[in-house]
Amino acid sequence: MISLAGRDIMHAWGKFVFTGMGLGLLIGITLSMAGIYRGMVDDGKALLDNSGADLWVVQKDTLGPYAEPSSIFDDAWRGILGMPGVARTANVTYLTMQVRQGERDVRTMVTGVTPGEPGTPGWPPYLVAGRQITRGHYEAVADIATGFALGDRLQIRRNHYIVVGLTRRMVSSGGDPMVFIPLKDAQEAQFLKDNDAIRQQRRRTAANPAFNRPQVPDLLNAVIASQSTNAYVNAVLVQIEAGHDANDVAESIRRWKRLTVYTRSQMEEILIGKLIATSARQIFMFLVILSIVSAAIVAFIIYTLTLGKIREIAVLKLIGTKNRTIIALIMQQSIALGLIGFVVGKITATLLMAPIFPKYVLLEPLDSFIGFGAVMVICILASIISIRAALKVDPAEAIGG
Amino acid sequence: MAGKGIRIEGLKKRYGSGDTAVDALKGVEMQVAPGEVVGLIGPSGSGKSTMLKCLGAVIEPTAGRMILGDEVIYDGGWKVKDLRALRRDKIGFIFQAPYLIPFLDVTDNVALLPMLAGKPNAESRKMAIALLKSLDVGHRAKAMPSQLSGGEQQRVAIARGLVNRPPVILADEPTAPLDSERALAVIRILNDMARQFETAIIVVTHDEKIIPTFKRIYHIRDGVTYEEAGEGRDF
Amino acid sequence: MTSLPIQKRTLAMFAVLIPLFVLFVYVALRSGPLAPVSVTLATVENHAITPALFGIGTVEARYTYKIGPTFAGRVNRVNVNVGDSVKAGQELGGMDLVDIDERIRAQDASLKRAKAQLDEAQARLYFAQTQAQRYEKLFTLRATSEELAATRRQELQVAEAGLNAAREEAARIRSEQEALIAQRDNLRLISPVDGLVVARNADPGTTIVAGQAVVELIDPESLWVNVHFDQIHARGLAAGLPAQIVLRSQGGEKGAAGHVFWIEPLADAVTEETLAKVVFDQLPEPLPPIGELAEVNVDLPALPPGPVLPNAAIQRIKSKLGSKLGVWQVKNGELQFTPVTLGTSDLDGRIQVREGLKAGDQVVVYSAKALNTHTRIYVVEHSPGVKQ
Repeated sequence: MISLAGRDIMHAWGKFVFTGMGLGLLIGITLSMAGIYRGMVDDGKALLDNSGADLWVVQKDTLGPYAEPSSIFDDAWRGILGMPGVARTANVTYLTMQVRQGERDVRTMVTGVTPGEPGTPGWPPYLVAGRQITRGHYEAVADIATGFALGDRLQIRRNHYIVVGLTRRMVSSGGDPMVFIPLKDAQEAQFLKDNDAIRQQRRRTAANPAFNRPQVPDLLNAVIASQSTNAYVNAVLVQIEAGHDANDVAESIRRWKRLTVYTRSQMEEILIGKLIATSARQIFMFLVILSIVSAAIVAFIIYTLTLGKIREIAVLKLIGTKNRTIIALIMQQSIALGLIGFVVGKITATLLMAPIFPKYVLLEPLDSFIGFGAVMVICILASIISIRAALKVDPAEAIGG
Repeated sequence: MAGKGIRIEGLKKRYGSGDTAVDALKGVEMQVAPGEVVGLIGPSGSGKSTMLKCLGAVIEPTAGRMILGDEVIYDGGWKVKDLRALRRDKIGFIFQAPYLIPFLDVTDNVALLPMLAGKPNAESRKMAIALLKSLDVGHRAKAMPSQLSGGEQQRVAIARGLVNRPPVILADEPTAPLDSERALAVIRILNDMARQFETAIIVVTHDEKIIPTFKRIYHIRDGVTYEEAGEGRDF
Repeated sequence: MTSLPIQKRTLAMFAVLIPLFVLFVYVALRSGPLAPVSVTLATVENHAITPALFGIGTVEARYTYKIGPTFAGRVNRVNVNVGDSVKAGQELGGMDLVDIDERIRAQDASLKRAKAQLDEAQARLYFAQTQAQRYEKLFTLRATSEELAATRRQELQVAEAGLNAAREEAARIRSEQEALIAQRDNLRLISPVDGLVVARNADPGTTIVAGQAVVELIDPESLWVNVHFDQIHARGLAAGLPAQIVLRSQGGEKGAAGHVFWIEPLADAVTEETLAKVVFDQLPEPLPPIGELAEVNVDLPALPPGPVLPNAAIQRIKSKLGSKLGVWQVKNGELQFTPVTLGTSDLDGRIQVREGLKAGDQVVVYSAKALNTHTRIYVVEHSPGVKQ
């Protein structure tokens, strides 16, 4: 017995493959949606992994430093370093802002890292080009997603930075690429305002008689100087010594330093459970809608193909073709369409969508398997309507009135 | 008659029920011997299509008896369980239009029937090609139906009807689209096949070109048949 | 029987479907989490590292003079403006004299009167002298009484005393006048040194208190850069080391040469910085403004050659025994972590390796993802996606 479905497809293979490709684009978008969700979760995990920290110490009662703003004094690390179980601490600041380079500006998360050696928490753990920061000021390491190249001059607030190194997959939980600069410069960027605002502030301070006393000539300068310094950081990253439990160390910091401390699993929960939750719901809805649309389109295509063959089906039934064979004809076509669609969809998602989409698209093999299964199920279900129509055909119609 | 052939006794078919019922067939009597080609002539609405459909086991008659070969297929109710197999194995159909499957080539269009009957593909194709050759379309065996002329397609359709060597062939206006030369050729083929394979063939037609060739003709009017001797002209 | 006839149509279909399938397999295996990670290798070289320190600072003047009055008063005149060069002793301005001039004139008059009194005392003395002499002579001739002689002698003494008194009175008045003149001079604002006026804080008519500066001067020859070095990166900082000073206004140009003058004994404990003063070997023309930011690179003496690594290669991995610093190496196509002990680094990102590697070893310097021992890798020249 030959495969009627195979023959039918080969006869009009151009149309069939073309239709399959169209379906494939839709499936590709659906797969990419799943990939976008996974990418968002991975962004959060990458952020936590790349910081190299076991604990995050933040302002009391905040969900910082990623989900909420948090400010702690920049000498708080000294007390934390002395606690049992703490191997290394590092101050870190995060600020999402536009960084200008030449004529364009890019939205990035500017991260201030403490000076030290590679391996300090907060530093990018691996590079794809260049080197780590060696000078205490005016150097930057940028993620390639920003589009910057080695040697570019960036402008952050009032200072210029030379890009000395490039990283990959250093992103904030929102997908903004990161730019690492020395901590002191980052502190200045975070809290120091632009020149106009500074002048206004100086004028206001000078107009205040409490600060502008003629008998004490230097008082005004001292007050203005104190307004221009910034002694805050967003978090202290802590690495734990071997053999100590993260929760125990976190608890002791909480108790004695009266700061809020999050372990890795708690931060994951905050990032993924709170920060991404809304987006996850949106994407899930999109996934469902796209799947329904795909199912509807497959059903429509197969129905159209079947209706186009209704005469042949009547003839086939008349000359004695079993119902089974006719069902197989329709269902095999539907499955073949689904196969082509899935192959094209997977290729589209990986080679087209993933590189050009502005957010990170993570396509996992498991998703592909589930997607394949779903496509097959949808194709089979979608063909049921057509099968019912085909089975209802009266073979007598082949015999004219 | 024992052995093969068609025998219809008192076939009735009623559509609908109650006040709106229509009696399409009111007691049809017909018999065709193996090797015989008879004509069935009637105006539209006379019930000839209904009769073909009943005989073709496509619709169920209301009453009567139908015997195909030595098998009673209907006697007040279907006596055969698998009508599809019946159609496949015992009845060959030739339609007004060729109704070839457009996505199968000529050989496979014909070979499809033995394949459906369970014969292996190679053997089915062999049977098909032999038949196509004898119908003078063997040279088109690999072509697709859309590449054939009307006459060639019709001959392929005839081959399809014949390939399973069914004891009965029902032909519905097989020469309607053809000119007289081709029409007579078709009749010639049918007669040859009938003789060769001892097939009983009923040809429903109102084509004046071929009616004279029948030796026996059944007229059907208002659901009842009348037998008549035909001219039996040479072709 | 014959197999399926290969038609052009079938060929065309396979021509489309087979590449599609191949592409699909390629995509499935080579992308996503299953894909191997690209790494770039670097060789450990023997190199003499020139460590350097980097700090930023502001241009300041070593000596700043704030010239102002010692008493509260009103500013009478300011003779200089910002940017003027002044010489030592030059008058920069002056406070309101109020009544000093009048008092000096009064003293003048008093002095004249004292002089006149001195003359008078002088005349009296002369007369007394003459009289005493005469009566002395007369007494020796017994032409007058002893009493008269004694009286004239006494008058002489009185006249002498009177002269002294008048003389001292004149001196006193002169001193008082000099005191007033000194006070008047004090109300003049005089430049103590040759210098440059950098600030003019009050204009004539302004009332200021003692201690407020009217004019601020600096010695332009004494410009230096007050540099902050991160304490972590201040090892080896010592006076006399050569330095390059790049002013903010100079942007990317090569800096001026200078050297470390001294290191402040008091560091900044809040900002965790060491402070040092770096001077220009030759003052740039034109002088940089006070307060301009400068970036300073201090070169430390070169170290003997030894194996060096790019700092991008260094990773810290965590294990049950704690975290270690080291590098990834590719051995037989697989990754292996080699712990290293590091030494000094220079500002170009090279770090000395004390232990763990030798020259010629190959290490992983760039990777597209974080590595672990199970990662599948393939070696590339440059990381994909990086513009060269």
